[in-house]
Amino acid sequence: MIETVDVLLPVMVCVVLSLLSLVIFKRIRKAGRRKALLMVAWSAGAFTAIAASVLNIAVKYYGAPAPLPFLGFSLTSGPDAIHSSSFLVDAMSVYVALIFVPVAGVIFTYSLVHNGLEDKPSERYHALVLMLVGATLGVLFSGDLLTLFIFWEIAAGGSSLLMLYKNDISSMHATLKYLIMIILASAFIVYGLSIVFGISGSLNFWAVKVAVEGMADKTLFLLAFLFIVTGYAIEAAIVPFHMWLPDAYTTAPASTSAFLSALVDQGSYYVLLRVLIFVFSPPAVFDWRPMLAIFAAMTMVVGNFLALGERNLKKLIANICIADVGYNLVAIASDTALGIMGNLYFFLVGGITTALAFMVVGIMNQHGIKSLEDLSGLGKRMPLTSLALLVGFLSFTGIPPLAGFFAKYLTFTAALQSNMWWLAVIGIVMSVIQAAYLLRIIMIMYGRPPREETRKREPRLLLVLVFTLAAAIVFLGAYPTLVLDLIDKVIQQLPLMPA
Amino acid sequence: MGNILWMPFLLPVLASPFVYWVGKKSGKLASTIVVAITLFNIVILLTTIPSVLDSADHKYIESYTWIPELHSSLTFFVDGISLPITIVTLVLITCGTLFSVDYMKGRKSIGEYYFLVCLLSVGLVGVFITSNLMLFYFCWEMMLIPSFFLIGHWGYKDAYKVAFKFFIFTHAGAVFVLLGIGAIFIVTNDLDLFSAKAALLTASPDVVRWLLISLTGGFAVKMAIVPVHMWLPDAHSEAPAPMSALLSGVIISAGAYAIFRICLETVLPAVFPSGFGTHYLYGLAIFGLVSAFLGSFVALVETDIKRIIAYSSIAHMGYVLFGFALFPFEVAMIGTILHIVTHALSKGLFFLSSGAVMKELEIRDIREMGGLASAMPVTAFSSVTAGLSIAGIPPFACFISEFMIFVGAFQVINADGFFLIPTILMLVATVFSLAYSLRYVSKIFLGQRKIEKVGAAGTWMRVAMAILVVLIVCIGVWPGIFVQLISTTQFIP
Repeated sequence: MIETVDVLLPVMVCVVLSLLSLVIFKRIRKAGRRKALLMVAWSAGAFTAIAASVLNIAVKYYGAPAPLPFLGFSLTSGPDAIHSSSFLVDAMSVYVALIFVPVAGVIFTYSLVHNGLEDKPSERYHALVLMLVGATLGVLFSGDLLTLFIFWEIAAGGSSLLMLYKNDISSMHATLKYLIMIILASAFIVYGLSIVFGISGSLNFWAVKVAVEGMADKTLFLLAFLFIVTGYAIEAAIVPFHMWLPDAYTTAPASTSAFLSALVDQGSYYVLLRVLIFVFSPPAVFDWRPMLAIFAAMTMVVGNFLALGERNLKKLIANICIADVGYNLVAIASDTALGIMGNLYFFLVGGITTALAFMVVGIMNQHGIKSLEDLSGLGKRMPLTSLALLVGFLSFTGIPPLAGFFAKYLTFTAALQSNMWWLAVIGIVMSVIQAAYLLRIIMIMYGRPPREETRKREPRLLLVLVFTLAAAIVFLGAYPTLVLDLIDKVIQQLPLMPA
Repeated sequence: MGNILWMPFLLPVLASPFVYWVGKKSGKLASTIVVAITLFNIVILLTTIPSVLDSADHKYIESYTWIPELHSSLTFFVDGISLPITIVTLVLITCGTLFSVDYMKGRKSIGEYYFLVCLLSVGLVGVFITSNLMLFYFCWEMMLIPSFFLIGHWGYKDAYKVAFKFFIFTHAGAVFVLLGIGAIFIVTNDLDLFSAKAALLTASPDVVRWLLISLTGGFAVKMAIVPVHMWLPDAHSEAPAPMSALLSGVIISAGAYAIFRICLETVLPAVFPSGFGTHYLYGLAIFGLVSAFLGSFVALVETDIKRIIAYSSIAHMGYVLFGFALFPFEVAMIGTILHIVTHALSKGLFFLSSGAVMKELEIRDIREMGGLASAMPVTAFSSVTAGLSIAGIPPFACFISEFMIFVGAFQVINADGFFLIPTILMLVATVFSLAYSLRYVSKIFLGQRKIEKVGAAGTWMRVAMAILVVLIVCIGVWPGIFVQLISTTQFIP
């Protein structure tokens, strides 16, 4: 049986590790030649601990599948329980936690080695990253809107500090932009939450859902809903609130961008999914599907066209992240089991692929390769790095047998299923445009003559990490059942939600 | 019979890293491995002939679990239609690889070349031998990526640009195919062709109509039907010769096969009652006619050695599409399927022989060539065979199939007067194909010799061409087994 302690354990482990890292890094820095080895060992140890705490929940949960749609936990018991912070465990939160931890582990190891090459390894940076992982895991297991909000703001605040890591003028600028958006967003959300609390007397997902459905006059709820969703839309970088994302992801160090895209970005979809489908599920407040579909179309179009015109490699990938937001929204807007399946698969695939791309860009940036022109002939000069980028790009494009294909297939089929064929058509047309600009880069990498003949030295350890993700992309694309099996549990729980 | 059909699909994948490793050291050894695997796969497929001919449903099927959540399994099957096409595909891969031994001599990154050929063959074969739409789409796109690099890296001038155009066009077509497949999944909750067919009959005809249009449009791009043919002349003429042979022989045939297998056989029966089916077939006939005419005309005035053949491919896909419009009349359908097979062989040979010429001469304008017959006898003989076959002259392979298409067309005219004028126009178009074939042969191989020092084609090139010449003549004289196989299929509207 799962106890409250089990649910909180991953978060607590992350906090402890984060504090420990402040101490341990001072040691590692003095270690001299064995530094790299020690760092990898540390990260492996840390993430084994986090993984163990998550697996603990997974094993217990899947060991005795509950008949309930989710298991709820409150910090206090008795009549006050409804006001206290609460947590939940259901197949979806367990699944997302299970996929986040290994991806985060790979990126964390990368950041240890990568930043270590650039500057001295900073203990604050890694403490922050671990804190961020903890906050994201907290988001997953949150059982009420306020707990969700708090953990999510911790994640956002942590992200802004990570963006600031380089401490130069452009990163300050980008971080400021991000912070303003985030503060605006949280103001919206808090305002919405206060209305919800005022009406329903609770912020618990379950209680709110029941209250919404029992209410005759839903005007106030509608207002609250709009506030909350606008707030989360800003944080998820839905067009027209996307302006902060390219700047933030471009100025941050590559490992940070990888983290943000793989955890925070995917986390923001999770939050949307939770709030839209599990709490304000249509038509309880109002049918938000057409509205969301329009935003999805806008986000796909704007993201892909921004990427089409972009000459800076890193910014281009940041723009792909915006396009990915759009694809995810398509799946959410469809509000079908297939769509949720697509979303959950996309969390993993989108996270891995963007992380892979940012990690490769990080390696390339070290050699001064920044713009698309710098890439010419790179297929010969850095064959392995280019190959990894090729795999990532083809997965973005949605070419089988790479994982990105199933993500797109599921989302667009879901759109068809909920009768939004126009959205599916826009989606696939945008997907062709995406293929065009990504293929152009592949063409530059392999088709153009190299600028200089010398072969660059490719960092081996980093490439091992990059190719771990690339292998995952290929494997998940060729045999997606591995993950779809887990997702199937989530789908089976959907009908259990009260209509 | 055990589990054998996974081998043509998976063996090349498993072998590809090994081929890459070997190819880095010796291109000849790598090509030997590829040829050995392909020959082995041909034998595998030949062993299924008895069960296709004799079993009750004339199919050989085997299935493995893959993605149960999406109703997808690794289902491999052969029947009277996919078997001949798959065998011809493997023959062309064999000949293309043999041809490459000499053709790629002295080129860089041979290991990568054979590695990509291996991957390409997976897609090419997989498209024909699977009945699961998800796996079908996998293979459909698997044709694309290796082709992109094969054209881009080893092609002629501006190869990557041409490859880019090829990729974008066919990928754009493919996503509409994907949309159609997604729609089939939604409507029938199934992705297997044979069981989806029954489920589609009960679906709303309106939805089926749109998914049929989406699928056909997507396949038509691959088939290079006018007006979505623009990628073909560039891609086929700039690709390396063995790749052109596969592009023109197999890849566009895959489009034709897919239109037959998915659009006509599976989806079309669901829309026949609503009357849309008849209009759809008229549409196919008209697009086929336009392609046949435009392709032949341009081939007649084109002066680039490979672009002539490329435009002729557009024309011949027009014939095939016209033949499909006669669905479900048996003679016409057998003729059309046979034409896919015979055209693949003839066009493969045509491109290989032009590649042999270009390898020796390093020019492409046919006006600057002439009198090469004495210097390159085998190549000249191959070109004549291919040209006459393409023109539909007996006793070469394409004659039989074109003849059957026209016999079928006249049968259909009895039932449906619409086809009268298109059939007559198609007959006119065949005259053009004779004209451009003869022009091609005479400009290059006959007349005054314009370039003095010309050597004969390499040994392996000649072997590859000779194999195809023998096959084309054999099928032309005795199409028996192919017709026998194809006619096991029942064409049910």
